[in-house]
Amino acid sequence: MSSRRSRQSSSLGPSSRISDDQIADLLSKLRQLLPEIHDNRRSSKVSASKVLQETCNYIRSLHREVDDLSQRLTQLLTTIDADSPEAAIIRSLILQ
Amino acid sequence: MTFSPSHRVDLKRMASKASLKQKFLKKWMEDLRTYGSSNPFTTVSERKRIIKLSADIAMASIQEGATKWSRALIENASQGMDTFKKSAMSDDRGARLPSAASVAKMIASKKISKSRRRRTRICKPPRPKRLQARSIAKRLVKKRTQVLKNLVPGGESMDDASLIKETLDYIMSLQVQVDVMRSLACMSEHLHRK
Repeated sequence: MSSRRSRQSSSLGPSSRISDDQIADLLSKLRQLLPEIHDNRRSSKVSASKVLQETCNYIRSLHREVDDLSQRLTQLLTTIDADSPEAAIIRSLILQ
Repeated sequence: MTFSPSHRVDLKRMASKASLKQKFLKKWMEDLRTYGSSNPFTTVSERKRIIKLSADIAMASIQEGATKWSRALIENASQGMDTFKKSAMSDDRGARLPSAASVAKMIASKKISKSRRRRTRICKPPRPKRLQARSIAKRLVKKRTQVLKNLVPGGESMDDASLIKETLDYIMSLQVQVDVMRSLACMSEHLHRK
């Protein structure tokens, strides 16, 4: 990943803030991971803070989903014993 | 039929994601079987904790120590599992409460309160509008970077450059975790309905 700081406007140290290049890089990669990101303006000037905010929101929503799914699975996975139908299917999935 | 370059990249990404899902599922199921056999009598909330923590450990383990977030997550989640194991093995099952609270606290500390979009208050002497806007933006980026650091395991000690790299990797791993868990939940629900 490029560590050029071509557009840094301040005299702060190298790791004290995320550069525009890195934000652009992050944004393009995030777009691939998260197609619904609000990229109405396809310019390279989407604000850094907006990207960070979208990222944080997305991570939080993923955390919530994991928690909800854990709750759902609690009822369903009483045991992963060898005879359950889930075990058979899981085994076949893993062994592929 | 010609594939555009981005299509080729998508196929490659899909293939690597599929292999990650497989690895995750395998590790997770193995661990669950281990925990399940040694602790047959568990409450619903304990089971949920085991399922979630073992899913986190599995998600992090397949990284094989290559990323910082995965190492931090293994440490955190393993502590949670150890507390559970210790209390489950003790004869006095009432001793479980402190560990449940500590695990809950640990999991809760990973979630942070929603950062509301606030108007940043400037308490400095009046400056030209352009400079003001820039300093607001800078402050906002700094604040949101801090929020991100709290969300990514081990993020506190990362510099900004590695934070971004780790974030991207972490998000992709979370997607793998969610996809597999969702598939398993839907499949199980479907089977149980029959």
